[in-house]
Amino acid sequence: MFKVFKYTLIDLARNRFVLGYALLMLLVAQGLFVVEGDPAKALISLVQVVLTLVPLITLVFTVVYLYDSLEFTQLLAVQPIGRRSILAGQLLALSSALLVAQAFGLGLPLLVHTPDLPALILSLSGSGLVLVFAALGALIALKQREKARGVGVALFIWFLFVLVYDALLMWLMFAFSDHPIEPLVVPLAGINPVDLARIMVMLQIDLAAMMGYSGAVYKNFFGSTIGMGVAGSILLLWILIPTMIAFRVFQRKDL
Amino acid sequence: MSEVRIRFDNVGKRYGRLWALRGADLTFVKGEVVMLIGPNASGKTTLIKCLLGLVRSTEGRISVDGKVIGNDPGYRRSIGYMPQISQFPTALTVGQLLDMMKDVRGLDDSALDDSLVDELGMRAHMDKRLGTLSGGTRQKVSAVLAFRSRPQILVMDEPTAGLDPISARRVLKEAGALRDSGGTVLITSHLMEEVESLADRVAYLEDGHLRFLLPVKEILELTGTQRLANAIPAMLGGPLKEADPVHHV
Amino acid sequence: MIRAFALLPLLLSFGVCSATSWEYDAHGAERFKDLLQRIAIGDTVRISGIVQEGTITINRPVTIWGREGAVIDGGEKGEVLVVLADDVTIRGLTIRGTLVSNLEDYAGIKVKECYRTVIAGNFMDRCFFAIYLSGARDALVEHNRVIGDDSVDERMANGIHLWKCNNATIRHNLSERHRDGIYFEFVTDSRIHDNVSRNNLRYGLHFMFSHRDTYEDNLFLNNGAGVAVMYSKVIEMRRNKFLSNRGASSYGLLLKEINDGEITDNVFRDNTTGLMVDGCNRIHAQRNEFRYNGWALKLFANATACSFRSNSFLGNTFDVSTNGELMLNEMMGNYWDRYAGYDLDRDGFGDVPHRPLGFFTLLVERMPYAMVFSRSLFVSLLDRAERLIPSLSPEAMKDDRPLMRPPDPKDGTGRKDTVTMSNSAGSGSSFGSGSGISYCWSQRIRSKSWLTLEAHV
Repeated sequence: MFKVFKYTLIDLARNRFVLGYALLMLLVAQGLFVVEGDPAKALISLVQVVLTLVPLITLVFTVVYLYDSLEFTQLLAVQPIGRRSILAGQLLALSSALLVAQAFGLGLPLLVHTPDLPALILSLSGSGLVLVFAALGALIALKQREKARGVGVALFIWFLFVLVYDALLMWLMFAFSDHPIEPLVVPLAGINPVDLARIMVMLQIDLAAMMGYSGAVYKNFFGSTIGMGVAGSILLLWILIPTMIAFRVFQRKDL
Repeated sequence: MSEVRIRFDNVGKRYGRLWALRGADLTFVKGEVVMLIGPNASGKTTLIKCLLGLVRSTEGRISVDGKVIGNDPGYRRSIGYMPQISQFPTALTVGQLLDMMKDVRGLDDSALDDSLVDELGMRAHMDKRLGTLSGGTRQKVSAVLAFRSRPQILVMDEPTAGLDPISARRVLKEAGALRDSGGTVLITSHLMEEVESLADRVAYLEDGHLRFLLPVKEILELTGTQRLANAIPAMLGGPLKEADPVHHV
Repeated sequence: MIRAFALLPLLLSFGVCSATSWEYDAHGAERFKDLLQRIAIGDTVRISGIVQEGTITINRPVTIWGREGAVIDGGEKGEVLVVLADDVTIRGLTIRGTLVSNLEDYAGIKVKECYRTVIAGNFMDRCFFAIYLSGARDALVEHNRVIGDDSVDERMANGIHLWKCNNATIRHNLSERHRDGIYFEFVTDSRIHDNVSRNNLRYGLHFMFSHRDTYEDNLFLNNGAGVAVMYSKVIEMRRNKFLSNRGASSYGLLLKEINDGEITDNVFRDNTTGLMVDGCNRIHAQRNEFRYNGWALKLFANATACSFRSNSFLGNTFDVSTNGELMLNEMMGNYWDRYAGYDLDRDGFGDVPHRPLGFFTLLVERMPYAMVFSRSLFVSLLDRAERLIPSLSPEAMKDDRPLMRPPDPKDGTGRKDTVTMSNSAGSGSSFGSGSGISYCWSQRIRSKSWLTLEAHV
């Protein structure tokens, strides 16, 4: 596994897309800090960029990269190593490459301009999202035989997580506003990894508002050790479950 | 009778409703070159993939050196494979790829045979990125990789399709040498002229079924022809089905 | 041992008279109370040591100075110092040992119906009420450090408490860990400036039924409920800072039933609600900065004829919210960091109005738990749509001339990032350098440790 990881990472280190992603992030982050002037405000703008862009880029890149290396994956699969090692190596290399790109493009400007707790939470959430969506991307690439369809499914999944899910949840909130739906809203939002990452960051950024009547509930839950643990566990499940399914699929897949 | 290297016992592979390969019973022995031929979608690629572990057979068993292959990838230590299409991580150099495959196979330098590196003129390409190489050069890289670990079983899928004639001849000569030292070589090819001088036996597949697996001499004798290209249609009692020159299923 | 020195004759306001300066050492035989009965009008007593004589009443116009380390300890018998005469000055003392009571308002220094009291440079050490002025006129309270003890809940009353006073000046004090830092009830024509009121259990400053008062250059930080100004008229509020007042019913500044208020050059930062305007008339807010608040401005529909000009709204979760359809106030020429319009004629004002009330603001107003969608992409899209095609927010809730960039900082001194209060009373204060308080903040506004707040004692 380590050998596959090592050489895939060497390949990815020179991948134009990864370099482009790092530079794009750097440009956006640095640009926001320069244009906004105020680091705390730039951070607020960055949140939406990260929450939107990171899932999209991670998904599409993972899917495309895995499709493009299909022949090489075949060559690896006829070597005397297990399939598990191949996928683990590739997935780990992909995640690492994107994480490093993100550390450079997002982490570096954050560290320079606003090295504080909200920035740290944003970086961690962004990293969590990379791992989640790399796993999902791998699953899509393994499940769909055609590249174009794979990318299509990836875009759909992204759209679902980033936009549609919230829309549905809000519709639910309105539709059942006569019922005591309040206790359901946070858990339902927390199931979506993008929403979860957003809530964790928001608890830092909108801290003042979070101390208000309704926010206090969230603050008390997610701010507590248990809440942090639950949030972390949900993200972990979002990483582990797709990864495990992907391993299963790859193990039986006809290449 | 020579020692059996590979045995297929009633091997079948079904994709959905379609049987790509069915009832394959055949053996390959040490020290022979077998040519697998047949039209498009005849099952020869599926047969190879079952052996390589790329595809899980739906039924039957395959054994290599007396051991039934299963989830343990260890048996592939003795297999070298040269695929029809050579795609590699584009940003790796040729040298890095060779190192990677060496590492993946867990070999050290003494176990390697680098004669083809020089013979195919790859030494000059070592520091080039794979993404910058032409298809033919990538095919040479594939050939180098397949022979480098001195495999006892060599599987080549259309080995000459992407290679220039001189390199193709070199590669086939190397395959012959492998056979002479006791190796088993399986080659799928459309270009029978190139391999017929090398082949000891010919397997013909059609619609997922093995039609025959016979020594070349026997085929020629049976049909009374001088060349395989003429002998095969005669064997089948009609003209050979038109085959796509490159693609397989 | 008492040593008395005759000093140079002093000119006092009510006539020519020779004042005597007395030294009192608590280790001596005589009681301080007895000395107080002997000294003449206008005399000065300098105290050394720790006086422990229960409640001490000052019933003639004298000056009491503490030498270094001088303490008056009431021993929890009731009040500590009670002032019943005009023209009393109390300086440089540490005062402690007030009785805590549910029935009586015991104070460290209680002033009853006096003129021209001066309370300066004292350290009010964990008093129940610390400085309590009742019916005082022309009082001056300055450079005191009023520190309560919030470790025991409900044990603390107000730090600086004024009731039915007129023409008082409260300046350069530090008040913390009391119930209300500064409390005004029925106080008229008074000024509160350059004070720091922080970490109080309830309000940093609490104003009730007090008219024609001014408060300027104060810092209100991290108080339980912020600052409340209620049922008052003609209040001027300038260059104050309202910071980090967080909680469900916590406000940077809560205005309730205020008529004719002026709010200029203040800074509202990190409050759950920056400024709440409830039932007010003719409040004019200018050049204030609202930054990183949960709700920068809560403007209730019962407010009328208020105006908001040249304020800047930066990085707030919600800029403005309201509770009704009606809007009888004016917003003009403010800077909104959410403004997405353009300025083609380059006059510095956006060419299309800004509607500060987004969809999300209204949603959270109706369903508070919708807060969980804050900063979600979907909500931002809806928010933008609502601003473009308003369908839910009151028509008049808009700024027709939004500024393209924040107002020039030189207009508002309230924007400066450091307030320094130095104590140069020269009062012979027993604290050496006095109670200089410096406050600064860094741009690190988020982490717990972002505030460096020090009282140099």
